[in-house]
Amino acid sequence: MSWLSPALTIAGKDLRLEMKTRDVIASVGLFVLLVVVTASFAFPTGGDGREGVAAGVLWMSFLFAALLGMGRSMAIEKEDACLDGLLVSPAPREAVFLGKLFTNLGFTFAVELVILPVFVILLQLRPTGGALLLLLATFLGTLGLVTVGTLFAAMAVNTRGREAILPLLVMPVSIPIMVAAVKVSEAGFAGTWGSGTTSWLLLMLGYDALFLLVALVTFQYVTEE
Amino acid sequence: MKTDALQQPAGELRPDVAPGSARRTRRRLWGTLTLISLPILLGMAFFYAPEDANQGAAQRIFYIHVPSAWIGFLAFAVVFVASIAFLATGRRKWDDVASSSAEVGVIFTTAVLITGPLWGRPVWGVYWTWDPRLTSFLMLWLIYLSYLVLRGYVPEPIRRAKFSAVLGIVGFLDVPIVYLSARWWRSEHPTQFVVESGDLPMQMLVTLLVGVATFTFFYLYLLAVRVHAGRLRARVEEAEVSR
Repeated sequence: MSWLSPALTIAGKDLRLEMKTRDVIASVGLFVLLVVVTASFAFPTGGDGREGVAAGVLWMSFLFAALLGMGRSMAIEKEDACLDGLLVSPAPREAVFLGKLFTNLGFTFAVELVILPVFVILLQLRPTGGALLLLLATFLGTLGLVTVGTLFAAMAVNTRGREAILPLLVMPVSIPIMVAAVKVSEAGFAGTWGSGTTSWLLLMLGYDALFLLVALVTFQYVTEE
Repeated sequence: MKTDALQQPAGELRPDVAPGSARRTRRRLWGTLTLISLPILLGMAFFYAPEDANQGAAQRIFYIHVPSAWIGFLAFAVVFVASIAFLATGRRKWDDVASSSAEVGVIFTTAVLITGPLWGRPVWGVYWTWDPRLTSFLMLWLIYLSYLVLRGYVPEPIRRAKFSAVLGIVGFLDVPIVYLSARWWRSEHPTQFVVESGDLPMQMLVTLLVGVATFTFFYLYLLAVRVHAGRLRARVEEAEVSR
């Protein structure tokens, strides 16, 4: 596919940059840890129905992590007009979008994979048998968040508000995928396949597919000058 | 100077070319129809429609609430279509229609979110419940508020039009998913409080239909006025640039 190779080049560039500076992983990782620890004090964790509370706390912290990481990753492109360089390169716009999407997905998912076990230990959860469900929820939920987020981050950096308005754009539209991710994670923490879990997984798949398509089509409009 | 401003290259915002007098006539038509039908609707809602046996007088807010919800939905559908039309043609007119419709839609959605709890308190006993319909309207309201906030943050007209068109498309495609998630989310508490329209008495149905017609006229009038105001503002901006 003609999009894949330039997209991987762009994501590879971000990865090499990250290996040298460790800006995003360090700041986002520490931030998520802080949110998780603060939330453990703020919410009644560990009691009855703890799976529900834990799933909510988990996804609030993942949402913040994704927003922070995506804002940062697009802000880097604005420095020294890197984004302009990407846009005048022969890579199609779809490939530029996919490249940034891979970066955002990779970084956010990596941070989440590290934080998940810490989270399970801190909140005294026993997700025996639900680990796969948790991973699935984390991946599909994060994919939905970063798909919409990557599209909106390209808009946000070109506004007066910069990355500050990214949450205002992403949060209202991402409520359905947040609800679905929380529900599936709750089933994951409980270690049982809930009655609605299949529906929620399908909703996440549908959300991801729909907005991936829309973002690929509309990304050209938010980047052309 | 003036001719320069009109001959913009392709892809720029092109001025609308429909004659101004026809648009003024249309504005007056919608305004007049609203002025005529609004008192009729109020009269019908209070005197023609029968009192609901269970809900009492509170049920009469239904004739404002349901038409507002319908207009909120119509307005956001118009934003969606106009946003696609803008990205496809690059004509400023479609951005004016989309942004004006979003503003009017937010007003009517606000009315839904105010009249709903006013009715809910006497009938359900609570101002707010996470009923799928209420929840969906709350999320819609938030999405289009963010649309209006985004517009405020982008000073350049072309960029503002493109960005908000993308949000107008994404936001509307989100609506069915929002509704599904709101339904499933509280599926363990079935909320069948709302009267199904199938068993409405004839007088109630007629009043409701008059309400929908009235609010549609009102929407078209407000939309036309907002589009007109946007056009005037664009002309002022253009004059300031060329001066």
